[in-house]
Amino acid sequence: MIDAIVIENLSKTYQVPEREGGFKAAVRGFFRRRYKDVHAVQRVNFRIESGEIVGFLGPNGAGKTTTLKMLSGLLHPTGGRARVLDFTPWDRKREFLQAITLVMGQRNRLSWDIPAADSFLLNQAIYRLPDAAYKATLKELDELLELGPIMRKPVRNLSLGERMKCELAAGLLHRPRVLFLDEPTIGLDITAQARIRTFLQEYNRRTGATILLTSHYMADVTALCERIIMIHEGKLKYDGGINELTHRIAPFKLICVTLQDGADCDLSPYGTLAPGENGCKTLLQVPAGEVAAVTARILADLPVHDLTIEDPPIEHVIERAFNE
Amino acid sequence: MLKLFTAFLKINIQMTLAYRAETLTHILLNLMWLGWELLSLSIIFGNTATLGGWGPGQLIALLGVFRLVNTLMAALIWPNTEKFNSSIRDGSWDYALLQPVNSLFLVSFSRMVIWRVWDLVLAAILTIVGLSMSGGGTTLLNLLGFLALAVSGMLIIYSLWIVLIALTFWFTKFDNNVTILQALLDAGRYPATVYPLWLRLIVTFVVPIAVATTVPLQALRGDLNGLQVLLYLVIGAASFFFASRIWKAGIRKYSGASS
Repeated sequence: MIDAIVIENLSKTYQVPEREGGFKAAVRGFFRRRYKDVHAVQRVNFRIESGEIVGFLGPNGAGKTTTLKMLSGLLHPTGGRARVLDFTPWDRKREFLQAITLVMGQRNRLSWDIPAADSFLLNQAIYRLPDAAYKATLKELDELLELGPIMRKPVRNLSLGERMKCELAAGLLHRPRVLFLDEPTIGLDITAQARIRTFLQEYNRRTGATILLTSHYMADVTALCERIIMIHEGKLKYDGGINELTHRIAPFKLICVTLQDGADCDLSPYGTLAPGENGCKTLLQVPAGEVAAVTARILADLPVHDLTIEDPPIEHVIERAFNE
Repeated sequence: MLKLFTAFLKINIQMTLAYRAETLTHILLNLMWLGWELLSLSIIFGNTATLGGWGPGQLIALLGVFRLVNTLMAALIWPNTEKFNSSIRDGSWDYALLQPVNSLFLVSFSRMVIWRVWDLVLAAILTIVGLSMSGGGTTLLNLLGFLALAVSGMLIIYSLWIVLIALTFWFTKFDNNVTILQALLDAGRYPATVYPLWLRLIVTFVVPIAVATTVPLQALRGDLNGLQVLLYLVIGAASFFFASRIWKAGIRKYSGASS
């Protein structure tokens, strides 16, 4: 396997004007600006193999978008190097731009007043796509995203979910081999999120495209990515499998116990009591290695009506990882 | 490039057709403005036979060229500036940079105000009528000089515009960039020769607006010699060269600093 994305010691420092609040400071700031260095990305390293789907996680302001912008060639880094499909992104060579896409959930590229289908045609001209290839790709995207009626309505009349489908299609018409997706499901309802997820999975399976995706919805990440890369305050925090992260950060399982009606027993001797969720009466946190033994003891000792064993929720794992 | 230009043109026609009433109002408004301008010219010539040595026919022709430049402003420069400024503000400029197309081409032609086509026709009619009113004596060479200088004049205005919008990359909030250009351009409504010498020098050389309006007509009148024509053509090419350098530097600045 070849690496689609390689970055080494990638860094980006912004200079941001800074001043105290108040009128005097504003006047002073007009004549003499003071700047503060903001280290948005600091010496980050990783490589992503061709065809991988990787979740790129971090709290707001962690440097995710900055990294994506450097990888898609919009920003020059202040240090380090990056190769995407063997191009240096910020050279912005035509061949490079033809081979990647960046879709940002919070920004739109489609023209507001005309149907998406017309904007697609403009993209055909911009990317110089031959008619046959363009039609084939559009047909395929139509199949996967069910664009049919929605791409013929003016974009301003579309719902958020419909618009996102069109935005994705617009970003994929030139069949990019690397996809940078910045919160592609933001603001969408559960059904629309699931649609987009299934689509990305299928697209990756069919085309073998590499996908690096940021999202605040863990469901996106667990459904799509086996591997995650976490950054916090511009620094790499974790790079590896989701399961490995869970083992490292939260090496325990949750046992949800529902006792038979009327039974009231103290479960604290079996493990740490955790706040119950999802209608679960009693939730026990038990070290991963002891789950089998503890479960056996509970079943033997107590009048159990129902018992399930779960992994700790990924949100909690991620949150703990950031606070580590 | 031509294919892409056609694609932009199509998109813009589609966008215009989305708003019918607006298009009709604009056409009517334009006819009104034209009447107003002709009226003010007739008032001037009711009181004097020539203005700075230019007769009524020549002034009408100048008005034609001026409107041609103005149409260029209104059909391309204004709408594209508006789009550019808003795309910088809302961040969609990023998408423009992601496209495998020359960014200068993209910023210049992605918006076109189609109904301005009527203006172009009017401007052409004015120029032709004005020329025929001012009588014969026009040689083919003069006509060629006029055409070449008109193109290079527009190139100069275009370059000036590029520099002004490129400044946005350094000062994020610079929305009145093109108001400046329009104010300068309005000085080209009358022949530069009616202005006092010092102002004429500024209008011609410091901010070469007159180059786009007065100068082509001077060539048509046969007022310029070959060397002068060449000089103006060189100025046109040079200003475009410098403008595209500044534009490139601006893009570098943008990708260095935006977040």
